[in-house]
Amino acid sequence: MRATLMTAMIRTGAKQCCPYAACSSSRSVAYYSKSAIDTNSNYDLVVIGGGSGGLACSKEAADQGARVAVLDWVAPTPHGQSWGLGGTCVNVGCIPKKLMHQAALVGNHLADAAAYGWQLPKDHHVPHDWNTLKNAVQDTIKASNWVYRVQLNSKKVDYFNALGSFLDSNTIKVTDKKSEKTITAKYVVLSTGLRPTYPNIPGAELGLTSDDLFSLKKSPGRTLVVGGSYVGLECAGFLKGLGLPVDLMIRSIPLRGFDQQCANLITDHMSGEGMNILWRCSPLEVVEAGNDQKKVTWLSDDGKKESQVYDTVLWAIGRQPRLQPLNLQAANVQLNQKNGKVIVDDEERSSNPSVFAIGDIAQGRPELTPVAISTGQLLARRLFAKSSRLMNYDMIPTTVFTPLEYGCVGLSEEAALKKFGEDECEVYHAFYGPYEYTIPHRSSEQCYTKIIALRDDPKTVIGIHFVGPNAGEVTQGFAAAMTCNITIDQLQSTVAIHPTSAEEIIKLRITKRSGLDPRAVGCCG
Amino acid sequence: MVEFKEVEGYDSLKSELKSLEKSDKPVFVLFTGSKDSSGKSWCPDCVTADPVVHASVKEKLSEGVFITCQVGPRDFWKNQSNPFRTDSKLKITAVPTLIHWGQSNRLVEEQLFKRDMVDMLFED
Ligand SMILES: Cc1cc2nc3c(=O)[nH]c(=O)nc-3n(C[C@H](O)[C@H](O)[C@H](O)COP(=O)(O)OP(=O)(O)OC[C@H]3O[C@@H](n4cnc5c(N)ncnc54)[C@H](O)[C@@H]3O)c2cc1C
Repeated sequence: MRATLMTAMIRTGAKQCCPYAACSSSRSVAYYSKSAIDTNSNYDLVVIGGGSGGLACSKEAADQGARVAVLDWVAPTPHGQSWGLGGTCVNVGCIPKKLMHQAALVGNHLADAAAYGWQLPKDHHVPHDWNTLKNAVQDTIKASNWVYRVQLNSKKVDYFNALGSFLDSNTIKVTDKKSEKTITAKYVVLSTGLRPTYPNIPGAELGLTSDDLFSLKKSPGRTLVVGGSYVGLECAGFLKGLGLPVDLMIRSIPLRGFDQQCANLITDHMSGEGMNILWRCSPLEVVEAGNDQKKVTWLSDDGKKESQVYDTVLWAIGRQPRLQPLNLQAANVQLNQKNGKVIVDDEERSSNPSVFAIGDIAQGRPELTPVAISTGQLLARRLFAKSSRLMNYDMIPTTVFTPLEYGCVGLSEEAALKKFGEDECEVYHAFYGPYEYTIPHRSSEQCYTKIIALRDDPKTVIGIHFVGPNAGEVTQGFAAAMTCNITIDQLQSTVAIHPTSAEEIIKLRITKRSGLDPRAVGCCG
Repeated sequence: MVEFKEVEGYDSLKSELKSLEKSDKPVFVLFTGSKDSSGKSWCPDCVTADPVVHASVKEKLSEGVFITCQVGPRDFWKNQSNPFRTDSKLKITAVPTLIHWGQSNRLVEEQLFKRDMVDMLFED
């Protein structure tokens, strides 16, 4: 399995590179030695940060004929964890998260199997082995780290496993484990991403973050996840799904910025599956409790102090830039005073005209891998291929991979009502039952979908929300439709695929305004 | 010191790898098309890759085992169910392929024509 995936990735890597000019000469034997790189330290583009945005930008720039260098350096976590080329998504974000979510879903299938006639051994408690999963996940990641290096090499992008910092607008100090040197560049792109925030309380360093979780040497055991961010909800969700006892602490609201009705359905579902959610609690202190355990004390809703012992405490309270080592003053790059992100204009340009910022580090941009990738590619084309196309930050779809997934594109109901007013918006909604839930009697109480459309002609759809299985797969196509400005009439005249959960979206007829019951009715009527 | 070994076919590769199980030296395997009785290989890309890989080994690899594995005649190799392709630890889908045994790092076909690419595998 491992090897198949690995081979598959290498093969796609090779395929991806072939349409491009940079690779067409690969049939001739190319010799060039490391010393050539040192004397050739003048670049058209230096990218600081080899994550989703930085890699995409550097590869695209090289395809357009630019001389490009990428610097990527991972500062180890307080627990000593670090990783290879590729940034957050592949090493400590989307990829390991989705694989562990999948592991939890497989557990659900096991639980449902008997109802479908699979004769599992009687009294079958199927234990889960953390190390098998963790090793498989880490092998997948290492294969990707290698593929990225092969891709950079085949596109003749110079890669430095080194920390970058500014000496002046166009001069970058490159510091690796052994040495230090300077390189110069016409343009610099900052794509240094974010790192998890630790709370400012005694003992915070005893806790872990998502930067440590996916490579933990032993099962996290009894875990307290602190934070109502999607990272918090997802991690709590899959750990619980792997059979671990998990408490989830949320200080205010879950999934800030997302549609709150849907966000609450997600947390209702988690509670329904037996997760203990500690609402309106904030951690005060963590102390060692012996046996590698930690005692956490928090302030509860009613002002009382409570405490509990855990094997693992996971902070998921937010993410922040780490720009101090970059010496941005030397390039006069201005930051947002509140969140420390780089202020950029529509062209991703910072206050210094030759320095750009893309991905999570750029002020006001959605913190998502595909956004960072597209932004990086478009920027490279503007810089080196005379393109003028800008990134369109509207209609960015996303999915939260909680045990019950939640996908959305466009505006939340709150944002839509605020922007257009209640009289201008029509909200269609329904609860539904996924067919695969019927036989194992899985609760579909929180399976829900909603469309927000404008009431004025042409009744453009401005938001689609889907809470249910495979939400990511369901939402992607609807995002394409919304990018084409689909109207509610067009959506409702689309032919369904039966039996699916996705068809529930195009079957939506009940409006909130009508006051009719959105609860599921029969099946095939 | 680099120890060079040559094996022919799947079974002899497996037994070679087994004998190296306890060793902590890095093991690299180059999969290449077999040569006929006149010493001619059926795989032209393997012939191109060979000097590049060996020059890199000479310069970049100071310690380890380098196994050259001839995968057999063309007809045998093209059979989609040959053991090199189906073994879950190998999954070799093309020759030439160079792997760092036990790790994810591998290079295939024309990637092996590039000296700096091959260097990267030995340096890692
Ligand atoms: C747990 C988790 C789950 C996620 N799940 C999803 C998901 O499902 N879908 C999705 O779209 N997004 C997801 N994300 C978000 C996604 O990972 C980020 O939006 C994306 O990685 C941002 O890319 P980037 O290029 O801005 O930065 P990153 O990918 O973070 O890369 C930045 C790189 O720059 C390096 N760096 C920093 N400073 C320097 C320096 N001075 N010199 C050299 N290198 C430096 C960093 O070490 C890092 O390697 C998730 C994130 C987390 C944490």
